Amino acid sequence: MAVYKRSYKAYTGHLTPEWSRWIVIPRYAWQGLFRLRLLTIFYVLCFFYPLGCAVVIYLNNNLAFIRQYMPVPPNGILDIGNKFFLTYTVVQCTLAFILTAFIGPGLVSPDLANNALPLYFSRPVSRTGYVVGKMMVIAGLLSMITWIPGLMLFGLQASLADSKWVTDNWKIAWSIFFSASVWIVFVAMLSLALSAWVRWRIIAGGLMLVVLFVGAGLAEAIRQVWRIDSARFLDVSSNMGNIWTHMFDVKTRYTLTLEDSIMVLAGYTALCIWLLARKIKACEVIRG
Amino acid sequence: MDNEIIFDNVSKFYGEVLGVNRVALSIPPGITSLVGPNGSGKTTLMNLMTGLIQPTRGSITVRGMSPKDPENFFRTVGYCSQFDSYPKGFTGYQFVYSFLRLFGITHAEANDKAWAAIQRVGLEEAAKRKIAGYSKGMRQRIKLAQALSSDPQVLVLDEPLNGLDPLVRAETIALFREFATAGRHLILSSHVLHEVDIISDQVILMAAGYVVAEGQIRAVREEIEDHPMQILIRCQQPQRLASRLFEHDHVVEVKVHSDGGGLLVKTKSADRFYLLMNEIAAGNIDIETVAPVDDDVNSVYGYLIGSEEPTR
Amino acid sequence: MNPNWNLWMRQTWAVMRLEIGKSFFSKRGLWIYLLAFAPIVIWGGHSYEVMERGEDRQKMAQRSPGVTRQKMAMITDEMSKERILAILGPPARQQSFGRRHPVQIMRWSDGKAEFIVRFRDGELENISLREGCSFEEDSTVFAAIFQFFYLRLAIFWGCVFVFMNLFRGEMLDKSLHYYFLAPIRREVVVAGKFGAGLLATGVIFGVSIALQFAGMNLHFPKETVDQYFSQGHAIQHLLSYIGVSILACAGYGSAFLVGGILLRNPLIPAGVLLLWESINGILPAILRKFSVIYYLKVLSPVAIPLDKGVPGPLAMLAFGTDPVSTPVAIIGVFGLALVLLVVAAWRSRSMEISYAAE
Repeated sequence: MAVYKRSYKAYTGHLTPEWSRWIVIPRYAWQGLFRLRLLTIFYVLCFFYPLGCAVVIYLNNNLAFIRQYMPVPPNGILDIGNKFFLTYTVVQCTLAFILTAFIGPGLVSPDLANNALPLYFSRPVSRTGYVVGKMMVIAGLLSMITWIPGLMLFGLQASLADSKWVTDNWKIAWSIFFSASVWIVFVAMLSLALSAWVRWRIIAGGLMLVVLFVGAGLAEAIRQVWRIDSARFLDVSSNMGNIWTHMFDVKTRYTLTLEDSIMVLAGYTALCIWLLARKIKACEVIRG
Repeated sequence: MDNEIIFDNVSKFYGEVLGVNRVALSIPPGITSLVGPNGSGKTTLMNLMTGLIQPTRGSITVRGMSPKDPENFFRTVGYCSQFDSYPKGFTGYQFVYSFLRLFGITHAEANDKAWAAIQRVGLEEAAKRKIAGYSKGMRQRIKLAQALSSDPQVLVLDEPLNGLDPLVRAETIALFREFATAGRHLILSSHVLHEVDIISDQVILMAAGYVVAEGQIRAVREEIEDHPMQILIRCQQPQRLASRLFEHDHVVEVKVHSDGGGLLVKTKSADRFYLLMNEIAAGNIDIETVAPVDDDVNSVYGYLIGSEEPTR
Repeated sequence: MNPNWNLWMRQTWAVMRLEIGKSFFSKRGLWIYLLAFAPIVIWGGHSYEVMERGEDRQKMAQRSPGVTRQKMAMITDEMSKERILAILGPPARQQSFGRRHPVQIMRWSDGKAEFIVRFRDGELENISLREGCSFEEDSTVFAAIFQFFYLRLAIFWGCVFVFMNLFRGEMLDKSLHYYFLAPIRREVVVAGKFGAGLLATGVIFGVSIALQFAGMNLHFPKETVDQYFSQGHAIQHLLSYIGVSILACAGYGSAFLVGGILLRNPLIPAGVLLLWESINGILPAILRKFSVIYYLKVLSPVAIPLDKGVPGPLAMLAFGTDPVSTPVAIIGVFGLALVLLVVAAWRSRSMEISYAAE
């Protein structure tokens, strides 16, 4: 029969290896994101602070140049050390959070709202691959404004300072990477989970802020009323601040231990993964 | 003029994208169909007419009223839009009733009007069920009920026959006919050209944001000079008739029908052709029927808008 | 044209009827209830815990009858276990754990406060005196939570959702055109929607604050509460808290209603307003007046000392304001809300239905 002669033939060409199929998701997502002018402007602005830091590091290590124009204390303009890189990490991670609040919620919710998940999963993309791909959209962008320039700044300082500075401060490089990575994984999972559960992406973005601000407020309310310090487990920002100060070996005002805070963040991340696992399915039963 | 819908040189641009351009129309009462391919500007024209969007240039009045004065305007105008969305959790009855309460009328009055409108579209049984569980056709009908419920003088319907089964389609067309009597306006858009042909008193043909033609379909057809009129003549002696016809310069083509029982004639002047036919009929050639082949919306659409086939 | 107030009132009510259900019972809005009612759980839990602990301390006081507040205050970090036991006598409760570095915790109570001493390896490690709850202290904490958490976070974000949803949510649901196709002025639609939002948020947050207030007072002795009520402070405070909550809903609500009409992404105005409200304390005097929190802080019935220990993102919300009289504050918020509503009504007139752009 003529119809059969013209029937569908399966693709027999080269297939992308299974482990790398998720890459297609961030590739197209990034293209889409950078079409948004406001986001691109904000992303560019995120590089200003690292750039400023680079200039400060350079000048701090070339005092002779500055002394031509102005008096400089003998120890330099400022101490490039733990506090300098802690401030860098806090500033960049805050910007990373704002960026995630804008881009994260739009990653999963449109797929759910438009019933696009069956389209993804009818192709050789697994649920894990889908989540990893979506997470990499955020992780890639955030890495570019947090730990990657952070390590470059560390490298710049290491190359300009004497070897003693490097031996005394090599841990900073690890701290930059670890602190930013924990934050990136957490905010990425949080935004994806909210995006999957709240289909209106604007509300999902708002909830990101709610989790940060209201979590802190609720924790403080419980701490004040019940007079218990453990209420701070609810406060994501305090726990992250605690991890950062511990990692950079700076005196902390938090009463929680490093292990406590890592467990809290890990717990929240696990909760987000569980929430995602419940929503990212090829089919959905709608009861009406 | 106060009983017409007037578009006074109306243009609408969505940023750099053209919606409609320089539309000047006077639509008299009766059933008027907007016909055109997807993206031709039919919905834009309807949305402009009802104030859901505002013209970039020009002005619109419906029976002397402006959409900028919704308080009076929508006591006269009802619009059944293309949006297939409803307030969440509403039953069909609640949907119609709540809309009527916005008119500022009492519960009893709104209740009576709501049930009357629901009955008109034949949805009494499903009225207490949630709209979320309705079929496409039922959703169309409840929207129609809502638009009809306030008993408007002008009813604007964007693709109202979509999703309706043949029986309900026929009932709905009858409803339109009934509505359009007594000097009321019914403006509708449709892709189904043979239905437009049946329903409409006049058509507005649109393409790429421009009004290509407007008026009664036959009159529009006569205006299209670069496509000679096609007329089918059933007769006993087609060859003889063909030779008679070729004597006249307005006849440009004559084909003998494949069954040998008639002729397909192309003429540049329908009026002169029909006069000629009167003469021939009075003579000795026995003519059974004379019927135009391409003075329907489908043909006019094809000639004016091109090869894009709108019939679904 | 003669203003037809009677018709407009009926139409406003019709819009409110449609909107109230959505504002109160939408699935999307469940988290607003969580935000609003979380403090009730906190205060309720606190009262329950205080009542339980009070009974426990009475029992402890019976076991160590000689313990007084003065004796507890005499204990210092340098004292030995023997010296402490000599002053306070045998502990009412005692716990020991740990093998390599044994820890011993001893407790005494005078029936109100609790004194806890912790020894590690037989050496004094820590002493702490846990006071009983005082009415003044709880009132101050209540006021602090009301200002720092409830007003600036719960009500703020609750209003973000409810009021932004009134127009923007309908755009997303593709159902706003039903209002725009009715014989109703757009200004009336704005008024009706705002009324519904205000009613919903006012009831949710007002009921919550009343329940929180009850929760706070639950554990105090009857005579303390009676005195509080008989002097008229309780009712005055409660009404002030409810009034300030409603004013906050009106002020923030009107701002977010305008935001929902003007902008596609409500996060931007919400973020800007949060920032504006947060930096209010450092703004020039004239600019401070264009803020909701400026007036609300004045109207809060119990002044709170600024706590330097306020953590993280909350720290930026803590600031002082110049004194303003109560009528000026109330008129200020309503005036601000009215101006914003006029802007909303004016902008709504030129609003177009363009769902594809959402």
